[in-house]
Amino acid sequence: MVPLENYLALSAIVFALGVYGVLARRNAVMILMSVELMLNAVNINFVAFAAYLDPDRIVGAIFAVFIITVAAAEVGLALAIVIRLFRNRATANVDEAATMKW
Amino acid sequence: MTATEVIWWVFALGIVALSAGVVFSRSVIHSAIFLIGSLAGVGVMFVILTVEFLALTQFLIYGGAVTVLVLLALMLTRADPSGRAEKVNGPQAPFALLAGIAVAAVLLVAALSTEWAGTADSPASIAIETISQRLFEDFGFPFILASVLLLVALVGAIIVARQEEGE
Repeated sequence: MVPLENYLALSAIVFALGVYGVLARRNAVMILMSVELMLNAVNINFVAFAAYLDPDRIVGAIFAVFIITVAAAEVGLALAIVIRLFRNRATANVDEAATMKW
Repeated sequence: MTATEVIWWVFALGIVALSAGVVFSRSVIHSAIFLIGSLAGVGVMFVILTVEFLALTQFLIYGGAVTVLVLLALMLTRADPSGRAEKVNGPQAPFALLAGIAVAAVLLVAALSTEWAGTADSPASIAIETISQRLFEDFGFPFILASVLLLVALVGAIIVARQEEGE
């Protein structure tokens, strides 16, 4: 059996990669993909903690189900916004959509 | 090293490599393809953790639906059809790298320096019936809320992306 620390280290690395992607990328869809990476890292953590520390080993999996649901809703809505942005401004780069920037 | 550990290391290294491909690749399409692989690898992790139901969900929703949506959005928002190399990262990229390293360092130190109480017994797999029972009995209200959230999000997405009259 793989120790719990391995899962935590894996999820920490994937989460940090997601943080880098969110902060560094210009394309809105790429930022969204990085957010998906972060959500998946969190899911690994939830399920690993449930498997190792929770006596009945269910609640973490149920939380992961909810995270997947919210992530699906988020992707659908965010991609609609990106497509709208592209139609109005002919760009999908977040640094070019700066009308409301002070 | 047991067979499970070998499989775990293969897929863990695969997930890390593919995730790095997602955030470091210069082509958005390549990033999306790497993302599919990375999400599938996370599904395999769920299988190793004996939560098969979640693995199925992962393959279906992430491997199927989400990546197809992302690919479609990428195709629809090709800013430059000539294929001229565009800067994929903003000028803040070095600081983003610093932030990523800092987050990784904090999380790794916290995870590895803590004494976890759990035992690493080899678990039996969780039946789908057990998950559904807990989901509908103890988490019934959040479940309904999640379905309403999905409905609202999808209606909102349609309204936002809709082509309006005279546009």
